[in-house]
Amino acid sequence: MNIVSAIILTAALLMIIAGMFCLVRTYNLIRIIIAIELAMKAITLLLVFSGWVNGNLALAQTFVITMIVLEVIVAVVAAGIIVSLYRKNGNVDIRELTNLKG
Amino acid sequence: MITFATISFLGLPLLAILLLNIVRKETGGTISINIGFVVSIIQMIAAVVCLSLLWLHGKDFIEFSLFWDMNATLGSARFSVDLFSLVVLFCIGMVSLASLLTAKKTIGAKALNYTNLLMVIMLGMNGIAVVTDLFSLYVFLEITGIASFVMIALLHDKRGLEGAFKYLVMSAIASALILGSLALIFTQTGSLVYGDVANALADWRNAQYAPLLVVAFVAFIAGFSIKAGIAPFHGWLPDAYQSAPASVSVLLGGIVTKMAGVYAIIRVLNSVFVSMPMINQTLLILGLISIVFGAVAACGQRDFKRILAYSSISQIGYIIIGIASGSLLGFVGAMLHFFNHATFKTTLFVNSAAVEAQTGTTDIDQLGGLQARMPVTAVSSILAFLSMAGIPPLAGFWSKLLIIIAVWQSASVAGGAIALAASIFTAAYFLILQRKVFFGPLEDHLTEITEAKGTISLAAVLLSIVTVAFGVLFPVILNFLHLQGIL
Repeated sequence: MNIVSAIILTAALLMIIAGMFCLVRTYNLIRIIIAIELAMKAITLLLVFSGWVNGNLALAQTFVITMIVLEVIVAVVAAGIIVSLYRKNGNVDIRELTNLKG
Repeated sequence: MITFATISFLGLPLLAILLLNIVRKETGGTISINIGFVVSIIQMIAAVVCLSLLWLHGKDFIEFSLFWDMNATLGSARFSVDLFSLVVLFCIGMVSLASLLTAKKTIGAKALNYTNLLMVIMLGMNGIAVVTDLFSLYVFLEITGIASFVMIALLHDKRGLEGAFKYLVMSAIASALILGSLALIFTQTGSLVYGDVANALADWRNAQYAPLLVVAFVAFIAGFSIKAGIAPFHGWLPDAYQSAPASVSVLLGGIVTKMAGVYAIIRVLNSVFVSMPMINQTLLILGLISIVFGAVAACGQRDFKRILAYSSISQIGYIIIGIASGSLLGFVGAMLHFFNHATFKTTLFVNSAAVEAQTGTTDIDQLGGLQARMPVTAVSSILAFLSMAGIPPLAGFWSKLLIIIAVWQSASVAGGAIALAASIFTAAYFLILQRKVFFGPLEDHLTEITEAKGTISLAAVLLSIVTVAFGVLFPVILNFLHLQGIL
């Protein structure tokens, strides 16, 4: 494993850890979406890296473009749900989401 | 004939989405539901036609593409249907039909939006059933997921939005795990087509990035376990099922989580990770945890739909241990339990929809003695629960028997014993629910309740007929599979 791949993998890992840390620590719904997006950006980096390693960069690029489209749709749906929740609850605090319990 | 049948799996929902966006929003409700009926019935017919053509020509699978040349270049998507995917395509048609029959009575003004989203979800699930590469699998998983988040929040109520948001966050984490592991696998293989990946991974221990591949396998199992709602990863599932509108619960509980999680696991395990016993062992343990946890947790619930959600976790565990046993018998058992679970869990969710529509609640403490007032619902729910608990001669008994024998023979005796013992808990929560909702004296405020007439009862009756017929005719089916050389 050469130095460039080590750097890219470390960067991706750090981004994933940052995203997951944010996901665990925050109570704000919008920050949760940002955390997920951050982790997904790391995955994008990993996909490009894998294309570079095996020499199929064109295929990896098509994957990345498709993935960005899907990820944006998820973010839009999430934002729509957060707006509706804000209209119902008056805030974006995840501790308010306790209507469903077993 | 065969081209038409195969293309209809992906082309028909697409066409229906176009049609549904032409009709006027004010008057389109009934028309849209009828278009949905046509699509789901054609899908069931197409699955049966493909199945018979498959046997007529003696082929194992049929390859097709939508409107591109599937042999053109590297990376062009190529679809394929085989026995298992045709069985699940039939299930998708059946559950969508039941969901539409329920929606006709319960969805009201949202009919057009509901049918549109149903078509998207059908497109996504059919896609999961027919794809042959891992990246397209991810794309269709996301399509299914996104449509289900919107469907759960369809009525814009507080609970629905909460359930949808929980599902969305867990599903996004699962997607990140799956896609991350795909990236790591792609590093090694240079292609994500099932066959190529299987070949490249045959000797993965000597690969350049072997430790990364281990990370990839772990992330892969974790991601699909979240999508399937297997026990340690199940947090979102009861909330999503409970909060969704009645007809959407039918769809989610009947088929969506099973397609997005269980079918994907089975397909990948069968065609990509072919000779990796450690993945099978991991799934066996996860499946056993799921079986026991789901059944025990279901005993403590007080909501009709929530009990069904926990029982889904438990039953999905059975499918998973069947496939994790690694033998052909286990695979056939898992396939049949997949079909049976789709039938009886859909029946039960249709029944919960009938109870909710007539009484306005799904809280079992407020219900009681409905047997006399709602005979069709009561009888069909008893049949479905007996099938789920594995009482002969109903369908669930046979598939559970095959799975337990397969686990006993080829994986571990202790696993088979645990799975067998957990059936008792299935009977326990079944008895709690039946006694609280349908048996016993009629509650005072429920004396005016009548049977849910029309399409909801029709759906319950049709699905009960399938459950009973499949159980009674099961030896014939098994014999047929044997003659075809499958078992």
